Amino acid sequence: MPVRVVETSSPSHSSGQDLSSAQPSPPSCSLLCAGRSFCGTQNVSSLQKDEAWKVNVRIQGCDIEHGFLCGTMEALNVPLADTPVVTFWEGEIVDAKNHTFFTGKWEATPEDDIRHWSKFPSFTPLLSQIEEDGGKSLDLSNYPYIFMRWKEQYFVNVGADCGLTIAGFYYVCFSCTDGSISGFYYDPNSSPFQKLELKCMNEKPGGFSFSSYELV
Amino acid sequence: MPATAAAEAPPSAPEKLAARLSSGEAGESLLTALREIKNQIIGNRTKKLVYLRLHAVPRIVALLSAPSSPPPVIVQAAAAVGSFACGVEEGVRAVLDAGAVPHLTMLLSHPDAKVIDSAARTLRIIFQSKMAPKYDFLLEENKAFLLSLLNSTNENITEFAASIIAHSCEKPTEQTSLCDAGVMQKLVYLLGGSTNQRDTCLDAISAIVRTNSDAAAKFISIGNGKAFNSLMGLIQDRYPRTRLLACVCLITVERAFPVYFQEMQIKSKLIVILLDLIEEAGRVGDDAPFVLKGLIEESEELHRQALSVTAAERLCGYMRKGKAVLEARRLEGILLVLGELSSKLEQSRAKLIELQVPTLVIDLLKHDCAQVRTAACCVIKNISRSLKNLCAGRFGTESTVMPLVQLLCDSSTSVQTSALDAICNVAVNLTTKKSVLLQCGGVSTLSQLARSMHSEVRLKSVRALRNLMFLLDRKDKDFIFTELTASTLTTLISDPDPLVQEQALALAGNFVDGCGDSTKYIFSEDISILNAVSRQLKSAGSPGMCIQGMSFLANIAAENDLHKDAVMDCILPVSPDLNISTPNSFLVNFLQSKERLLRLSSLWCLVNLVYPNHKNSLRVSALHSAGIISQLKTMVNDPCLDCKVDPFPLKEFTLRS
Repeated sequence: MPVRVVETSSPSHSSGQDLSSAQPSPPSCSLLCAGRSFCGTQNVSSLQKDEAWKVNVRIQGCDIEHGFLCGTMEALNVPLADTPVVTFWEGEIVDAKNHTFFTGKWEATPEDDIRHWSKFPSFTPLLSQIEEDGGKSLDLSNYPYIFMRWKEQYFVNVGADCGLTIAGFYYVCFSCTDGSISGFYYDPNSSPFQKLELKCMNEKPGGFSFSSYELV
Repeated sequence: MPATAAAEAPPSAPEKLAARLSSGEAGESLLTALREIKNQIIGNRTKKLVYLRLHAVPRIVALLSAPSSPPPVIVQAAAAVGSFACGVEEGVRAVLDAGAVPHLTMLLSHPDAKVIDSAARTLRIIFQSKMAPKYDFLLEENKAFLLSLLNSTNENITEFAASIIAHSCEKPTEQTSLCDAGVMQKLVYLLGGSTNQRDTCLDAISAIVRTNSDAAAKFISIGNGKAFNSLMGLIQDRYPRTRLLACVCLITVERAFPVYFQEMQIKSKLIVILLDLIEEAGRVGDDAPFVLKGLIEESEELHRQALSVTAAERLCGYMRKGKAVLEARRLEGILLVLGELSSKLEQSRAKLIELQVPTLVIDLLKHDCAQVRTAACCVIKNISRSLKNLCAGRFGTESTVMPLVQLLCDSSTSVQTSALDAICNVAVNLTTKKSVLLQCGGVSTLSQLARSMHSEVRLKSVRALRNLMFLLDRKDKDFIFTELTASTLTTLISDPDPLVQEQALALAGNFVDGCGDSTKYIFSEDISILNAVSRQLKSAGSPGMCIQGMSFLANIAAENDLHKDAVMDCILPVSPDLNISTPNSFLVNFLQSKERLLRLSSLWCLVNLVYPNHKNSLRVSALHSAGIISQLKTMVNDPCLDCKVDPFPLKEFTLRS
């Protein structure tokens, strides 16, 4: 979800992740798949005022093997915008194979990473291993939470000059148990720890339905 | 003015020359006729066909073994036979039908050296054709004969021997037999000979090591790596054809014995050499891209390597420079390399998009050559695997979609199916704009093709419709369904091909997902679709079909009680005799399946059947009676986290029941 521009962001650093050690993929979850929708809020409160934007997220593609997913994020009541603002984001799944807990780019230091991941209670049991070897030996394939980073790439329905920025990224934790998503937006130039809270949506009256596509 | 030079006389008519072959002429006259025929047909396909129609070949072949044929006649006859067998399939067939091979083989022991040379050259030409007879190396006498040929000091004979190996050595037993007989060492030794001999030996070595790790290891060990080093030297030979054949040989050795090629350096060198060879004239330049494609096939690592040596830029450069003048085969090869490069890595796709490859390739969808059109479709298919660009709507444009839709009516089935593959990917519309496919007659054409007699066409059409249906709004979904019709979908669900069944069920699943009432269509025509799904699931066909079938039922069960009851009827059909639900539901088997996705889709169906009110006694009782609840209880220890971590009310429901 876009946030208000505070000042021009710096260019991101290149990735410094060590991907040499092969690890199992993260657990695939039927609720984290293309077509699935989530709705909730992002708290954008500052010292001056409390504020939360309604947010809808749709996952458009998911490639667990390569630790990749992508989707759109719609912010509904953005004060500066006349219409809902839609952005396209790409996600990295932390699987100790394609991506580790350490971002290595987007102006996030390892300390920023640990500080943000530690906001998720489900991260606590993993912390000691991450401190020991960077989490390289972690087997997340049977862990009931999936950790991700979501980085907005472009505005879908408004111009880049809309007065909003997508310079930051989200630390995200997905619960395989109930399909809920928690996240924290990180941008050194925005309010810290803006919390994203989403719940898995159910479009049908009597249960959960699924759509799928297959690229050849 | 009278003519003074015989050489300036006009060539005789083929009919007259052919007639002279069997008119009992002998001596100089026969020799002249043979020589003139040979000169007329060299490099002239039309003339070859004329003489073939005049049945000249059997008459010439007969001269090879005629006791009265003097050596000069035999030499000319053998040369003429070789010319007929060069580059024209009909010519090879005629030469083989006339029994030339045994005659020519006999001539290899002729006392006249010129006869031997001529016969060996012709045999080599014949054995370069795929139509030549296979040689049985496992017969001891054949192997001994081959070794005698390889030991000859005559290069035409050794080349012939290498040609036999290149043409006939295919089975592991043959490869091993030749290795054990010391053929590999002999071929390596012969690499030091003339250019032609070297090239033929490279072909022969490739044939012996192909997919045979023992043979490849043997080659590498010859002379403590000297053979390998000489091969490494030949990939940089001054002759392009030798470089190409050495590359092929090295790649074949690498494929058979990859442990020896851990370093990326050799492969990187091969990529660069092959990229250079694409610029060479003639067959070498035409074949080089195919070899390059084979080298990097299915390897993300080699795709990265190719990108790092600017393969994308160079290939685009060739295409941009010579699109109008490049031979169709070379263009096809370049497109196949670009297709391969974009098949796995997003990084490659981004590079090709940056180089505006899609624009170049879209033009080639209208190329005269079907193979080029097919390869162009392949590039579009692979580039459009990019989710990022699909989301940005880059491939759903009219300029991409329209030419692809036109190719659906192509006279070539290969083009048609490749276009379907490309459409399958570009049909995934992740934007908010309406898909061009819905507006350009694409749905109607795809629906017609879904009724094709050709199962591959049916499969790909249905898959494209399934992708197009993904997350569409209700109005557009209904439009597709109306074009396809309920009866066609029912037929497709019961298709003889399990892959078509699977795609048809996925299409049906996408249709009933989302907002709005889709079920009026599904419940139309005496619920034929639902009945077809039920029949298929009971027959427990392919896992893919069962997974999609259960997902479809899960989507139906996500509606109201009426729909949930209809799904109950599918999974627990009532016995007509006893008026009770049959206890042996296929669902129990599905929940025990080794296929994770089948267990999962079955679970979701059950979740929806008991959601939101899991106290519905009728459905719960029926599930109990069928043994499904007790099966569910065993799944708390499922190895799949997704099956074990019960999403919603199911665990609670299971434990209470």
